[in-house]
Amino acid sequence: MPSMEHVAHPQQRAFNPYTENGGTILAIAGADFTVIAGDTRQSEGYSIQTRYAPKVFRLTDRAVLAVNGFAADGNMFVKKVKQRLEWYRHAHAKDMPLRAIARLIQTMLYAQRFFPYYVYNILGGIEDDGTGAVYSFDPVGSYEREACRAAGAAQSLVQPFLDNQIYFKNQQAAPGQTHPSHLPLPDVLSIVIDSFTSATERHIEVGDGLEMYIVLAKGRNTQGMESLHGVQELSSKLDGERVFVVRRELKKD
Amino acid sequence: MARGRTRWWWKRETRSVTVTQVTRSLEDSEERPNMAMELNGGSVIAMVGKNCVAIASDLRLGNQALTVATNFEKIFPVSEQLYIGLCGLATDVETLRERFRFLVNMYTIKESRAISPQAFAHLVSSTLYEKRFGPYFIEPVIAGLEPITTTPTDGSAPTTEFRPFIAGADVIGCLNFAKDFIVTGTASDKLFGVAEGLWEPDLGPEDLFETISQTLLNAVDRDAYSGWGAVVHVITPDKVVSRTLKARMD
Repeated sequence: MPSMEHVAHPQQRAFNPYTENGGTILAIAGADFTVIAGDTRQSEGYSIQTRYAPKVFRLTDRAVLAVNGFAADGNMFVKKVKQRLEWYRHAHAKDMPLRAIARLIQTMLYAQRFFPYYVYNILGGIEDDGTGAVYSFDPVGSYEREACRAAGAAQSLVQPFLDNQIYFKNQQAAPGQTHPSHLPLPDVLSIVIDSFTSATERHIEVGDGLEMYIVLAKGRNTQGMESLHGVQELSSKLDGERVFVVRRELKKD
Repeated sequence: MARGRTRWWWKRETRSVTVTQVTRSLEDSEERPNMAMELNGGSVIAMVGKNCVAIASDLRLGNQALTVATNFEKIFPVSEQLYIGLCGLATDVETLRERFRFLVNMYTIKESRAISPQAFAHLVSSTLYEKRFGPYFIEPVIAGLEPITTTPTDGSAPTTEFRPFIAGADVIGCLNFAKDFIVTGTASDKLFGVAEGLWEPDLGPEDLFETISQTLLNAVDRDAYSGWGAVVHVITPDKVVSRTLKARMD
C-alpha cells in the first residue's frame, strides 16, 4: 500500500487587494464658502507609514475633493477625476460645475461596482449659484448634498459633534429666534480645528497634521480669514472663485 | 489487489476531510466580537465639574435591533452622594445591582459608616475580577463626591470638603480614574468625540448638566442601540438633582 505522505492536501490561498489607511476627512458648507479638511497621517494597522500624506486635493478653482479609506485607490481615483476634468476643459473651455463633478464622481465610482475603489469621497466647493456646497459619497457612488459631513476613522467621533455644532441638534433657539442655516467662516474654522484636535486625542489613526482648504465664492472678500496665519492661495485667477489652504500641526503621539 | 485499492481511496478521502476542517477560535476577535456587549444596547457617561459630578445614561433596552423597553434605568444610587452606572448585558445589570447593594450593605454594617467612592471603586473592581475567566458583561461607571474631613489643630470643629470622583472599569475590573469624563456602552466612540469637544474644566452644576446632556443626546442620536430617553444626575455637596430629558424617540 502506498504511503500517504506525498498526497497533496487541499490548500487555501487568499489575496486581499484592499488596505485601510486610517485618517479622517471633514467638510462644512457656509453661505458663500466651503471648508474641506483632512488630517495627514497615513497608517497601516498600528504602524504610521508617513506623517504627511495629503487626502484633500484641489480639483478646480471651485472644487476640492477629500478622499479617505484605501490610500492607493484614493490617489488613483483623484488622478482619474482630474484627468476627466482636464478633458472637460479642453472640450468646453471652462471648468466643470460642482454639481456636474458630483455626478461624474458617482458614475466613475459605480463603474467599479464589482471591484470598488475602497474610498469615501467628500466633494466641497462653490455651486454655480454661488452657494457653498458639500457632496458626500459612499464607495460605490451613492451621494447627497449636505451642509456638513465627516468620514473616515473618526467619523463616529466627529459627526455627532457636528450635528450639535452645525445643525444645532438637541439645542433650542432663544424665544422668537431661529438657528442659522449657515455659520460664518471663523466659527466654521474653529469647529473644524476643534473636531480634529478632539479626534486626535481619542483616535490613534488621526493626527500629525491638518490641511484645511477654504473655497470662497466669486466676489466674496477674504473676511473672516484675517486672523489666520500661514494662508496659501491656490487659485489660478483672482476674479473667480478662490481656493486657499491652511496647514496646522496636530499631536504626533 | 482490488480490495486494497478501494481501501486506499477511502483512506485518502478521510484524510482530506480532516485537513479541510475549519477550527474556530472561541476567543473574541475582530471578525466575531463579543456579542453580549451589544445585545441589549445602552450607554453611560460621567463627567467632573467644579465641586460637583454628573452621571447620565439613556433609557433603551433592546434585543439586538428590536427595542423592548424605553424605561430601563442603568444608573443606581449607592449612597447619598455616590452613583454607579452599569452598562452592557441587561441581565448582568440586574445581577450586579443586587450584588453591589448586598456588598455595600455589609460594608456599611461592618464599618458603621458610608462607603467612600474610592473604596467602592475597588470593591467594584475586585467583584468583577472574581469572575476573571467568565466575566459579567458589564462596564461600570462610578460617580460621586469624596468627603475629605480635616480636623484643625486649634481644636475647632472638623470641616468636611467634597472632592469630585469618577471612575470607570472594563469587564474584568481594570479601573480607570479619569479626571475629565468616563464613557461606556454601544455609543462610547460617539460619546468620546462629543465629550472631547464640549467638556471643559471647572464647570458649575448647571453648566455641567448642560454639557453632559448635550454630549449624551447627540451621541445616542447617532447610535441605533442607544437612546429612547435619557436621565441625568448632578451630584453637588448639598443635593442631587435628577432630571429626565426629552429625547428623540426613533
